[in-house]
Amino acid sequence: MENLEERLTLWYNELKGDNFPLVGKKNANLGEMLKAGIPISPGFAITIHANDVFMRESGVKSELEKLIANECRESTPDNIAYLSKFAMAAIEKASMPPALEKHILEEYHRLCEHCGVEALPVAVRSSGAVSMPGQMETYLNIRGDRDLSDYIRKCWASSYCVEALTYRINRELGVLFNIGVGIPKMVNSRIAGVIFTINPLNGDPSKISIDASYGLGEAVVSGLVTPDTYLIDKITLDPVKIVRGSKEIECVYREGGSDIVEREVDEERRQINALSQKELRHLCIVSKKIEKYYGKAYDIEFGIDADLLFPENVIILQVRPESIWNKKKAEKKTAEPTDAMNMILKQLMTGVKFN
Amino acid sequence: MAKQFLDPHDVPVIEGTEGWERMYPYYYQFSTDDKERNEYESGQLWYYDGLHYPEPHTPFDLIWDEAWYLALSQYNSRIFMVPPAKGIDHRIVNGHVYITPIGIADPKEIEARIPLFMKRAGYYYQNWDKIYDDWVEKTKELIAELEAVEFKNLPEMEDESVVFEHRGMGSGYDLCVQYDHLINMGFKVWQYHFEMLNLGYAAYVTFINTANQFFPDIPMATLTKMVSGIDVVMYRPDIELIKLAKMALELKLEGKLDAQTSFAALQQELGSSDAGKKWLAAFEAARYPWFWISTGTGWFHHDKSWNDDLDVPLANIKMHIESLQAGKDPSRPTEKLIAERDRIVDEYLDLFQNDDDKKAFAEALGIARKVFPYVENHLFYVEHWFHSVFWNKMRDLSRVLVDGGMIKDVEDIWYLNRADIKVLIDDMVRAWATGIVPAGRNKWPQEIEWRKGVMAKFREWTPPPALGVPPEVVTEPFSIVLWGVTTSVLKKWLTSLDTADGEISELHGSPGSSGVVQGKARVIRKVEDLALLQAGEILVAPTTSPSWAPAFTKIAGAVTDVGGPMCHAAIVCREYGLPTVVGTGNGTSVIKTGDMIKLDGDSGVVELLK
Repeated sequence: MENLEERLTLWYNELKGDNFPLVGKKNANLGEMLKAGIPISPGFAITIHANDVFMRESGVKSELEKLIANECRESTPDNIAYLSKFAMAAIEKASMPPALEKHILEEYHRLCEHCGVEALPVAVRSSGAVSMPGQMETYLNIRGDRDLSDYIRKCWASSYCVEALTYRINRELGVLFNIGVGIPKMVNSRIAGVIFTINPLNGDPSKISIDASYGLGEAVVSGLVTPDTYLIDKITLDPVKIVRGSKEIECVYREGGSDIVEREVDEERRQINALSQKELRHLCIVSKKIEKYYGKAYDIEFGIDADLLFPENVIILQVRPESIWNKKKAEKKTAEPTDAMNMILKQLMTGVKFN
Repeated sequence: MAKQFLDPHDVPVIEGTEGWERMYPYYYQFSTDDKERNEYESGQLWYYDGLHYPEPHTPFDLIWDEAWYLALSQYNSRIFMVPPAKGIDHRIVNGHVYITPIGIADPKEIEARIPLFMKRAGYYYQNWDKIYDDWVEKTKELIAELEAVEFKNLPEMEDESVVFEHRGMGSGYDLCVQYDHLINMGFKVWQYHFEMLNLGYAAYVTFINTANQFFPDIPMATLTKMVSGIDVVMYRPDIELIKLAKMALELKLEGKLDAQTSFAALQQELGSSDAGKKWLAAFEAARYPWFWISTGTGWFHHDKSWNDDLDVPLANIKMHIESLQAGKDPSRPTEKLIAERDRIVDEYLDLFQNDDDKKAFAEALGIARKVFPYVENHLFYVEHWFHSVFWNKMRDLSRVLVDGGMIKDVEDIWYLNRADIKVLIDDMVRAWATGIVPAGRNKWPQEIEWRKGVMAKFREWTPPPALGVPPEVVTEPFSIVLWGVTTSVLKKWLTSLDTADGEISELHGSPGSSGVVQGKARVIRKVEDLALLQAGEILVAPTTSPSWAPAFTKIAGAVTDVGGPMCHAAIVCREYGLPTVVGTGNGTSVIKTGDMIKLDGDSGVVELLK
């Protein structure tokens, strides 16, 4: 097998969590999520090694080394500011080594082809092997070879911003620092929404609750529309209750631009359930995997991508622990005694009211 | 919204049926002269038992209603001493049975019954499996006794054995005794029928409500899956047919089966080959008892069993052969079902974070599972096997009455109630003994003609879903689980009283089986009309039974007037994965054949589309 350490790019489905020294944590985690059966937007990682190749072959590395050895030996704020400015400018200005650029663009073209979209919009996300929260850049909606190449260098450059440099110097992580970059497809949601792996209204752990509406997730998340609400039996995956929402508008990307616009949903689409049976089922299976993987109730954002085919089009955008019911202590609901005979007696005494 | 339904004493008599009351026992009438009884009747809620009776009762067929009126009630009120419940009272209006649960109001009386119930019912629950085994044995013995009953024409001259064996009894007396014995056995099997059923349902309801306490809105289908045993007697007849279909293919007889439309013709054809004889022998072996399954519910004399019409099982065998030839296995995937049941239960148990709750749920599930075989299987022994044999014995008796000149046709006997028949036999044997013509030989045929006319008018009448005054809450477990009568359902029925039929655009019932479907409605009131169903239509019926199942492969969904989430219609539709709404109250009168309707088996709503 080919040595992963020499690879310039690695696809998400080739990665697992402990590959973070090769591609950075964010990328490795995406690979791990895929392994756990959590579908994410398709894409690939540009390795830390690729960053190193760029730095060496472009000559930026030796320039920086000289600077550190001489003018910027002392880590004063002024020196750090100077070093940052110099490094970022040098990286953005330098041209990509042709072999590296050719390889990255070939992988990008494979991704375009896979999604059936020319000049596919992607995100360019920094991914360090050490967590440096919020200190490096992520660029959204990047399309075409030229922009992609430029923004990858911008992204590499961002690891030399003042905050990142200061952070590294304070923790003795070294000034020179290569990062991984993630290139996932921008999710072009036809339908999007939010999933809870419990019934958020009463904490019932045997249900999955899904809110979904047309277009990008913003419409549901920001409450612009009344979405469909689907309550599903978590164990059998049978629908328990479906409340159809009015779904008057949807948010979509502006044609040729990267900002979001609202538009009306036609009457016919308002009157039907946004999610099909098989999409619902698939979302539930994925939600169960997420809950099992993290070991507690989760709050999940998803999108159904217009550019991909089922089931690959079902994409998890974000996951976080459910915040209310996880904190509540599970209170006992049964009154003593709990033997069958006494339960039957109690039942006969109180009678029955079905909902 | 109307506050109450029509007072039961104010239901108008249908023109031309005046005097209909004499067709049924007097204690089935709403009182006219007893003030105390009259007031009691006006203050109760009486609901139409369309679950069991989608059509009016001919006088004789009321026998099973009489049987359970006694049996169910006594087990609640006098045998197990169910603390808050007495029996279920019955009345008849224009041939349709209305029932009302009787509760106990006095808290002291309820309190006093608790230890009695715990001791008595506790004994049954603790010894359930053994009692059930004994139950099967004694019910089979009773059926054997029923099979032994013989009705013979009264002889011109008694056989000389009466003299030489000095029997000391004659054929006239025998006929009277045999009839009484037949009727008594009918009541006896219904004593057995309810021996364990009330307790079985109490266990079900406890499980349903315990589960709902932990998992609000848990679908009934999930609960059924958790409880359902795999070895259910009601599936056995179909299993036998699948075996015969497979055997026919092995013996290469499928072409012969296909060429013959009637069993009689097939029998002749197959009788000439060894393979054919082998198959016929297997067919014959499967008939007893499995072909005693009724094509109806078994509650009505016209519900014939497979044994009464062998063309029915033959047609089903052909269907199974087609499936097998197409590479589909028609058998229930038993192992898969067990695995699925166990998976569902395990995953639900895993959801508990509290051990006491988990234990309570497991206990409730355990007792529901324990009672399951009885609750499902008693149907085959009583309603199918016993009833099918019983109807045939009644026809044997009827032939004797026709030959004795008392009635005109074998099928006329159903227009006489059990008491009428007793006096008619008394009349006939006395005339036979005396050597004169019977007193009633003109009276009964005339009466029967008149009663046929009355029954025809009863069939055209749509019985209101309920009469009288709704209670604050409905608490009687049978009413809720089997008949789907809850406070909210009653409210919906009352609302529909205020709306003219033409204005109704939506009906509300209980979710029976999951799914949404839209299609043309076909209103079917009688089993015989099932043949009218076209593929893809939505069946709208007063209720359905397991024997309507062959039709379920054709239809897109079902709507019923009556029935709760555990009623047979709901259970069968879930097996077939058909969207179903049960207990709409008046679906068959509001919806017309050909209407476009949309039903939502998850919310229990039926929309009438224009």
